[in-house]
Amino acid sequence: MIAWELLGFGDAGYGDTIAMGVVVTVSLALATLPVGLALGFFVALAKQSTEWSLRTAADIYTTIFRGLPELLTLFLIYYGMQIGVQQLIKALDLDISFEFNTFVAGVITLAFVFSSYASEVFLSAFRAIPKGQYEGGFALGIPRPKVMRLIILPQLIRIAMPGLANLWMLLLKDTALVSAIGLNDIVRETRVAAGSTKEVFLFSSVSFFLFLVLALLSSIVISRIEAFGKKADTR
Amino acid sequence: MRISNLLMASAAAIVLSMGAAQADGHSMKIKIGTEGAYPPFNNLEADGSLVGFDVDVAKALCEEMKAECEFVTQDWDGIIPALLAGKFDAIIASMSITEERKETVDFTNKYYNTPPAIAVPKDSKIAEATDAALAGMVIGAQSSTTHSNYAEEKLGSAELKLYPTPDEYKLDVANGRIDGVIDDVVVLSDWLATDDGACCKILGTLTPDLMINGEGAGIAIRKGEDELREKFNAAIDAIIANGTYKEINDKYFTFDVYGG
Repeated sequence: MIAWELLGFGDAGYGDTIAMGVVVTVSLALATLPVGLALGFFVALAKQSTEWSLRTAADIYTTIFRGLPELLTLFLIYYGMQIGVQQLIKALDLDISFEFNTFVAGVITLAFVFSSYASEVFLSAFRAIPKGQYEGGFALGIPRPKVMRLIILPQLIRIAMPGLANLWMLLLKDTALVSAIGLNDIVRETRVAAGSTKEVFLFSSVSFFLFLVLALLSSIVISRIEAFGKKADTR
Repeated sequence: MRISNLLMASAAAIVLSMGAAQADGHSMKIKIGTEGAYPPFNNLEADGSLVGFDVDVAKALCEEMKAECEFVTQDWDGIIPALLAGKFDAIIASMSITEERKETVDFTNKYYNTPPAIAVPKDSKIAEATDAALAGMVIGAQSSTTHSNYAEEKLGSAELKLYPTPDEYKLDVANGRIDGVIDDVVVLSDWLATDDGACCKILGTLTPDLMINGEGAGIAIRKGEDELREKFNAAIDAIIANGTYKEINDKYFTFDVYGG
């Protein structure tokens, strides 16, 4: 069979299943991003807290999730939680079956990993903001949450942007791990197609090309955001 | 130690299955896990349908057991954890029965057993598929398979290179990066029949080792589910006896894959 037929949509080609794989990969990354950013932001806040226990907890969190291989984290969360809940159901003698959603497990894992890296990016961004910015706000009698939201956060995002853009690219590629828990992303779909048709090189190239397109699209969006952030610098 | 454990386990299984046989009742639902990227045993077609020897055997077994079966495809790497986590109730994916796997899952009797073989480029100077003839050569295998274990144990003179899927070692041997590959004879001969496999030939088959290759491919189920295991065993015997197995065998292979 010729390559075009194999890549076609419909029953003769793998185009439609691979397209579904793209949807899974992109939606997984997009769903992870806000969760990971929010978590990372709060971990960064905790890391510079005056409260000793918060700082320690945040340090343990980033040590674990930056230190563990992502695949292992994924297995621990997905299978570990599934087995844990099932043991609980058995222990309580309930007659229900529980299945941990693979997409949710993927988002949780990726968000944990993403946030532990993002927290360091946020932390360095926090440190780049001069103390005077806070003090100026307080001196004007602006309440603390408002100082954070209106004065610090906009600067923080601008400083953290390059680091976060880096992490987004990593996240996009890390989504490939979810194929191990049965989620059909780009890598899994192209691998199935390659295995079934023996056209390994063709489908590996497709996978490569798709990730390249996603990376290019991302960099366009990121440079737009960065340009928007820079408006504040120009007078 | 190992043998006594096995004896104890099988004794326990017999006792339990006697109890289970009476509890037999209405039709049951079984979820079957498979990989979907291992032709001709199990692979997903372009239209999303699952085909192959494993799949046909599984369907025949379900019919024999009067069970409703549903297939779940899952990447090989996470297939045993997924079984343990209850994503499905049985793995029918050409999984070899090994002592190592028996520590985490239970197996039915084999439903086929084919020998491992070595494929080499057509112009290869390697004379035969023995450890001595392969000394110093680089042999590729899929990691965490019986074939990689076999190469490690039995082909110690050769250097072993591990790949996550068969596709990668196939590319490497076709490109001359490695001197040969080890896998199931069926998988290799199927690949050699395609354009991609035009590079290579079968050097020879190897004698299976009971400790490594085990008793063949079986159906993996969670430990302690002896009722299900006995049902599968009875169904395997039944489809062999009534000729269904031979029909499926002949649909895919020109030789007997059940093995003696």
